[in-house]
Amino acid sequence: MHDESIQRQQLLRAMQRRTFLRRSAYGIGGLALASLLEGRAAAGDAAGSAPNQVSRGFVNPTHYPVRARRIIHLCMAGGPSHLESFDYKPELKKLDKQPFPESFTKGQQLAQLQNAELKAAGPFCEFAKHGNSGQEISSLFPHIAKIADDICIVRSMHTEQINHDPAHAFMNSGSIIKGRPSIGSWLLYGLGAETDELPGFIVLTSAGKSGLQPVSARQWSSGFLPTRYQGILFQSKGDAVHYVGNPAGVTRETQGAVVDEVNRLNRLFAAEHADPEIQTRISQYELAFRMQMSVPDLTDFASEPQSVLEMYGVKEPGDGSFASNCLLARRLAERGVRFIQLYHRAWDHHNNIANDMPRAALDVDQASAALVRDLKQRGMLDDTLIVWGGEFGRTPMGQGSGRDHHINAFSIWLAGGGIRGGMTWGRTDELGYKYVADDQAMHVHDLHATMLYLCGIDHSRFSVKFQGLDARLTGVEPCKVVRGILA
Amino acid sequence: MPRSPPIARPRVIGTMNRIASIAAAMFALTAGAMPHAAAAADRVDFDRHIRPILSDKCFFCHGPDQKHRQADLRLDERDSAVADKAIVPGKPEESELIRRITSDDADETMPPPESHKELTPSEKTLLRRWIADGAEYQAHWAYRPLAKPRVPRLNDAGWVRNPIDSFVLEELRSRKIEPSPEADRATLLRRLSLDLTGLPPTPAEVAAFLDDTSPNAYERQVSRLLASPRYGERMAVPWLDLVRFADTVGYHGDQNQHVFAYRDWVIDAFNRNKPFDQFTIEQLAGDLLPAATTEQRVATAFNRLNMMTREGGAQPKEYLAKYAADRVRTVSTTWLGSTMGCCECHGHKFDPFTACDFYSLAAFFADVKQWGYYADAKYARTPELAGFGNEHPFPPEIEVASPYLQRRQRQFEQQMIALAEATARHAAAQPASRDKFNGWQRAMREFLAREPSGWSTPQPRVASKALKPAKKSDADEPEQIDGPTIEADGRIVFRGKPQDNPIALPLDVPWLAAVRLELLPHAAHGGKIARGEPTIIKPAVRIKRRDGKPAKVAFFYADADARDPKYTQGSAVVGVHGGWQPAKARLTERQSSVWLVERPLKVDDGDQLEITLAGNTIGCLRVSVSPIAGVDPLDASLATELRTALGAAESAAATTTASSPVNLAYLGSTACEPKAFEQFRQLQRSWFECRRGMAEVMTTVAVEPLMTRVLPRGNWQDDSGEIVSPAVPHFLPQPTNSGDQRLTRLDLARWLVANENPLTARVVVNRLWKQFFGAALSGVVDDLGAQGESPSHPELLDWLAYEFRASGWDTKRLVRLLVTSSTYRQQSNVRAELRDVDPANRLLAFMSPRRLEAEFVRDNALAIAGLLNLDLGGPSVRPYQPAGYYANLQFPNRDYVAQLDDRQYRRGVYMHWQRTFLQPMLANFDAPGREECTAGRLCSNTPQQALTLLNDPTFVEAARVLAARLLVDAHATDERRIDHLLRLAVARPPSTAERESLAAFLADQRKHYRQHEDEAQQLLNVGIAPAATNIDAAELAAWTSLCRVVLNLHETIARY
Repeated sequence: MHDESIQRQQLLRAMQRRTFLRRSAYGIGGLALASLLEGRAAAGDAAGSAPNQVSRGFVNPTHYPVRARRIIHLCMAGGPSHLESFDYKPELKKLDKQPFPESFTKGQQLAQLQNAELKAAGPFCEFAKHGNSGQEISSLFPHIAKIADDICIVRSMHTEQINHDPAHAFMNSGSIIKGRPSIGSWLLYGLGAETDELPGFIVLTSAGKSGLQPVSARQWSSGFLPTRYQGILFQSKGDAVHYVGNPAGVTRETQGAVVDEVNRLNRLFAAEHADPEIQTRISQYELAFRMQMSVPDLTDFASEPQSVLEMYGVKEPGDGSFASNCLLARRLAERGVRFIQLYHRAWDHHNNIANDMPRAALDVDQASAALVRDLKQRGMLDDTLIVWGGEFGRTPMGQGSGRDHHINAFSIWLAGGGIRGGMTWGRTDELGYKYVADDQAMHVHDLHATMLYLCGIDHSRFSVKFQGLDARLTGVEPCKVVRGILA
Repeated sequence: MPRSPPIARPRVIGTMNRIASIAAAMFALTAGAMPHAAAAADRVDFDRHIRPILSDKCFFCHGPDQKHRQADLRLDERDSAVADKAIVPGKPEESELIRRITSDDADETMPPPESHKELTPSEKTLLRRWIADGAEYQAHWAYRPLAKPRVPRLNDAGWVRNPIDSFVLEELRSRKIEPSPEADRATLLRRLSLDLTGLPPTPAEVAAFLDDTSPNAYERQVSRLLASPRYGERMAVPWLDLVRFADTVGYHGDQNQHVFAYRDWVIDAFNRNKPFDQFTIEQLAGDLLPAATTEQRVATAFNRLNMMTREGGAQPKEYLAKYAADRVRTVSTTWLGSTMGCCECHGHKFDPFTACDFYSLAAFFADVKQWGYYADAKYARTPELAGFGNEHPFPPEIEVASPYLQRRQRQFEQQMIALAEATARHAAAQPASRDKFNGWQRAMREFLAREPSGWSTPQPRVASKALKPAKKSDADEPEQIDGPTIEADGRIVFRGKPQDNPIALPLDVPWLAAVRLELLPHAAHGGKIARGEPTIIKPAVRIKRRDGKPAKVAFFYADADARDPKYTQGSAVVGVHGGWQPAKARLTERQSSVWLVERPLKVDDGDQLEITLAGNTIGCLRVSVSPIAGVDPLDASLATELRTALGAAESAAATTTASSPVNLAYLGSTACEPKAFEQFRQLQRSWFECRRGMAEVMTTVAVEPLMTRVLPRGNWQDDSGEIVSPAVPHFLPQPTNSGDQRLTRLDLARWLVANENPLTARVVVNRLWKQFFGAALSGVVDDLGAQGESPSHPELLDWLAYEFRASGWDTKRLVRLLVTSSTYRQQSNVRAELRDVDPANRLLAFMSPRRLEAEFVRDNALAIAGLLNLDLGGPSVRPYQPAGYYANLQFPNRDYVAQLDDRQYRRGVYMHWQRTFLQPMLANFDAPGREECTAGRLCSNTPQQALTLLNDPTFVEAARVLAARLLVDAHATDERRIDHLLRLAVARPPSTAERESLAAFLADQRKHYRQHEDEAQQLLNVGIAPAATNIDAAELAAWTSLCRVVLNLHETIARY
């Protein structure tokens, strides 16, 4: 990196901190702090720590070496059935249509099946072993099956929330109380972004044809952290980012002239009125203008060769499909976005699961696998963590022709960014009802702790004071980094 | 006794910003880096110095929470700490506490390393000195009884205007700091206007203030602004954040809820200066007041503002627990400034609240009628909500009059009358149309003489349609062959199975403007109006001219005097749409519907009407027709008025100028003047939208209280916890009306504002201080507990709180005290020499500037542009919003339709608040989603804000309308216009440098748009405001660019 560029980066960093410490009436406390921090970061460098330990956020240097510099979270919204994806249960198949043993379910929370007569529902599709590792993957996911040796399947996931809305909140923020930051916001706060031209936390959504559930913007909220850490939802219609397009009749040059004039006048005012907020405002206008230029370039897929489009199964680039979003996710990852979250709303299969789940799988299978392969061939998989999974699983008991929500067991997979590929972690009982509470059990907080660890952060030391408490992503109950799945 | 300054503790760096202090803590910015509080000579103060250390570093394990307490040691109570020898007063060296915090032994050292808490050297010194001084504890400042502090007497050379200044100046003097000079008048008025009303002053208001030489000129401005209805709109915003007011329910489908009348109640309460104690009581328990008024019931919508769910599979009990916890958090934050949220699972770690306190507070609300899951499901039977789907409202609700809707409805009425008059004058001016008008009057006079009610009921003919052959299985039953019969007064009596017998009606009216269908009880059907269940009635109507083909008759609007409601997006559909569903509960009563013909038809002799009622189950029907259509189909008065007016007109022998009913009936019943008729229909549509001036609002209905238990670890499935009764937190003074009776919400409300409660007045005053001065006196507005911050000016806070309460909770009086102080009137120039002493300006040696809140960023721009619509109250409005923003919302699917009329320009406080997808402009400027009680908004400075101000059509449109406003005076110079622009936006003329810079920019823009007329045209088409046609497009575009610059200035969106 050229000196000039480093200087610019440092200036930017200082400015970002100043923004952050905005409420000091002078911003002087902020400035002093910022320069102190700068000094600390520099000292960290001098002390010979690995370059990837220098972050641009508030955890600086990082607590641990950084294995994952970015995360792509593929949210299968609605809650895919583990029993037809990654958790094969031959015993359940044998019990198909038989009464479900009460010993499993007594006194436990169910959703729509509460008070109903419970019958086992065997998996409707076949499983086979794949890759050198021989991971069991269902026939609904033939492309993911081909990357079996790259992914780590976790079958012992469990959560605490049985309805979509709070379950998403729990998966994203570790809490169901509103106003808590989502994991993307935490990461951005802790590490900053590696781009100044795009938001550091970006959300993309797509939808299937059935099994849809709404998702709320609170799922990518920065909660009590400043709004600059919130996830920015890319729109499928109109401007990708709200208000990123110039008004009609305003060219890039005109817009540039307006921004220049705004900043010239802001500087004139600042000379008379020492308010550090004005300096921050000036830098934000510069950033905004750069963002206006970089977003169109980001969403212009013209440079992507046909072979890449085919690998992902993109029919029409930018069509808002999951496949197109996966390709966009890779482009975002390349540009230094810290946390990228893709929601595919298609997995709430209360009925007709045998027809609808294969369709949802078809929506995501090829592109999910392509994303892993693409990152791998670009040498980016090593430092990109991919997490694939829903907010909960589904009951091994049938609900008519479908399955109800289930919190005691679900499956996810992870790849890249310090994860050991080709392994299966954790297990459920013989009917897939509940995770086995051994040392391979994985609560949502354990997943969060592990994700943070891979990003170089100790979850127990990563807190922000809120309402008198040291609030953490991982809450107050003990939880653990799941080291067994690390490379 | 000299006091240590509040500014010195490291955790107070930027205490206005919790985050900043966190940052400071995270990076272990020690006392060495910043000047420290307890300077050597000062005495150590428990409240200010010691409790914060103990609380943050020790209480987690040695505090009030019994379950989590380690080694059975508690440090939050002196006796206990002394008994355990943790503290030996006067002897730090013998105190175990000191030994532990200075120990190098990893097994002994406190706090333990795994807590990641560390004591700084200066904190250790403070603890040591405090113990050496005798280790005196104090009751926590916020829980002490509120007493009136003595106001310091100072030799102040006239600076002190009221006691606020005395407290502030004393503190400044103790540090040898002088306050700042008073700000100039223009700045002061802009500050006052933005703070009190959220709107900028007009140049005329500024000029008037500058010219006012009277000694109380400033106070008069304060009075003027406090009396403005805009004051209530401004004051409502932070309150609406606290009570989490929103237009949608928040969970899952985030459906609409009916609640705007509550928002209007809040605005009105501030405007009328309702005493805060009454304000509190009515919201929490208005329904329980003796002879509760409708308004008091509206106020109780407060208890219904928690998020609600209609997600399939949601367990009612679980969600009732969530709603209860939400209420406890809201009440404890809003009135007690306390963070009780953690007590849902366990005792508070830092403050004396217990889990039992949490559930006892929740128990006050156990009588609020509500459902955990707002639908009826197999797994959770809720008969009262049977048939409820995603379009239904969230009961219980009441219907109330909305002054806004009533005003608006009257407006449309007046416009319709004015239109009718103008149309009549126009008709009278031309022979052909005059003849037509006179002819119509004659025909109507005749008709009304025959049919005074305005309705004619011709004898119908009903075709007896062949019925399908009966199924084989029905073979035994006799074929139902008896077709409909007609009775003398036009009644048609149907029999047998559902059928759609077409009805033919010879028309004997001069015009066809309306059709009436009456369902009548009949003996043939056991006195009922239908054969079994009444189905939806959807008449297909055509007119058969004597000599021509039949033509379809379309209806514009219909309504019925009885019908089962139909809902869309939470609201009852106005009128009859998609068919009339007769009221199923009133089958033995007459029910009628009136259908207005889309374009009234002239009727000729021999014309006849054909009506088909597909598959109907009607018992007895009567069809009538009318040549008169009023605005409201159910209002029969027009015919009577018309008859009287026509009679009067005849007697006066004057047919050229007619009175209102004649003109109105002519316009609305004939469509003779097609253009005017179209406008009439538009107005009529808007009139219907006003819903007859009525609105639904959620309310509190008290029912038998549900049992409340402590939920162990917050687990709603665990029924093992103790049953609790309503009670206020145990360690606070208890309500006086104790007895065996269960305490009610009313008891709670009265206790919150009772003299013995030390918290409420402090909490409210502290928040209000923040609103006007940028930082609160106790910096963390939602936590006045141990983890909060001891106040920078404790006596001032107590004095204000006492004063507020003693004044009868007079909010306007309190606000006036704040803004008339010299402290408030200081310049906002940052003082470089104080940056090390007081980085956060907590000593108030100058006024802290602040950015406007989201709603006011918008209001301000619209006001500057002259676009702002100042209507008061009413249903929430929908300004522009990026397309597709609700794409991820479902149940039901939502399409945001912006209102493209005057409602576009209403104030931000009236914007539709979608909890899950808050309008992006509001969200970008830090408005909260209002899912959770919010006591203080964050205030960020982001690129998204720049993008919004630059590109959101609201601001672009404001800029081009503002530009046209500047160009109205064709003779003004550029210089004068730029001058005026700055006065509009920031209440001051530009400096020379600014003027020159803007002029040069303008010249460039002019040049550009003259060369690119097409771009100019495009820019001028942004937004719905009509473009000025008499101004050169390039010129207007260039000025639009200039106005965009000014609307984007930091100064414009900030108050100094």
